[in-house]
Amino acid sequence: MKINRTNPTIPEPDVTPMIDIVFQLIAFFMVISNFEQVQADERVKLPRDALAKPPEVKPEHELVINIGYVRDKDGNILDKTPYIFEPGAEFRVPDYNARLQQEKRLYRAQGVDPKDVTVVIRADADVPTGLVQELIRMAQQAEFQKFALKAVQKTE
Amino acid sequence: MEIRSHTESEKIEPQMAPMIDVVFQLLIFFMLTLKIIEPEGNFNINMPLGAPSSATMEEQNFPDLKVKLRANPDGSLAALMFGGTVLGNDEAAFERLNRKILEAIGTPGGAATKETEVEIDADYNLDFRYVIRAISACTGRMQGKQLIRYVEKIKFAPPKKPPQG
Repeated sequence: MKINRTNPTIPEPDVTPMIDIVFQLIAFFMVISNFEQVQADERVKLPRDALAKPPEVKPEHELVINIGYVRDKDGNILDKTPYIFEPGAEFRVPDYNARLQQEKRLYRAQGVDPKDVTVVIRADADVPTGLVQELIRMAQQAEFQKFALKAVQKTE
Repeated sequence: MEIRSHTESEKIEPQMAPMIDVVFQLLIFFMLTLKIIEPEGNFNINMPLGAPSSATMEEQNFPDLKVKLRANPDGSLAALMFGGTVLGNDEAAFERLNRKILEAIGTPGGAATKETEVEIDADYNLDFRYVIRAISACTGRMQGKQLIRYVEKIKFAPPKKPPQG
């Protein structure tokens, strides 16, 4: 009887479908990743409004200011004092004047007129309005003139 | 001279392992850096320097509309006022404000929309969410997905002193 000898070969799995799927996943995560809103602070709970539509034309220069409360994971306010959040630093609103003056000098050094810079205020829904107005007044003293208030788009 | 009659034609297979390594690294990077952020919108505020004194004669055709928001001590809305009219402090008050603004400007999109300026005068301790509601009510209304704009210029009154105590 003749025995059929087969060559012992190493089985190689077909990786093509896996690569297809993995590339699809990478493309998906790249598309939905938002690299623009890096200046947004997660601690700020913005007010919601139906008319808050994302701007069609993004301003060329914008200075984003986050003002809100220190909150726990459930969103409860831990400290009654509102702070301006920056990466690695927190400022009380009256102490932010020096920082705004510094921003003005930085824009000037880059050859940008502070009048052309839009100050985007991301204020928490529970922050007293007077503080936001004080912040605007301080920014006006630093020669900023354009302001935008942020709100989250409310969907029906 | 001997000529090779047949060369062994081998199928060249590219090395897939390094590529898969890198691709998985990329995948993990994008998965970890993913932050789901809801779309945010802007309300532009018109606050040029010296705003209180810049009310010149040319703007007299379209007088400023004044919206006042009075606060309770806990920061909630006590009363919403348009001019001298009290509109209430509930959800319907903002809808009434929206209608009043429309009455004041007449037809949306006309000269009144461009020229009329709304001044928002809010108490110091009022929660910011009510100011956004008032700004929204002054800005216009949504018709389907289209924004019907009533007023383009919105400004704040000078800030008030914080309540004592």
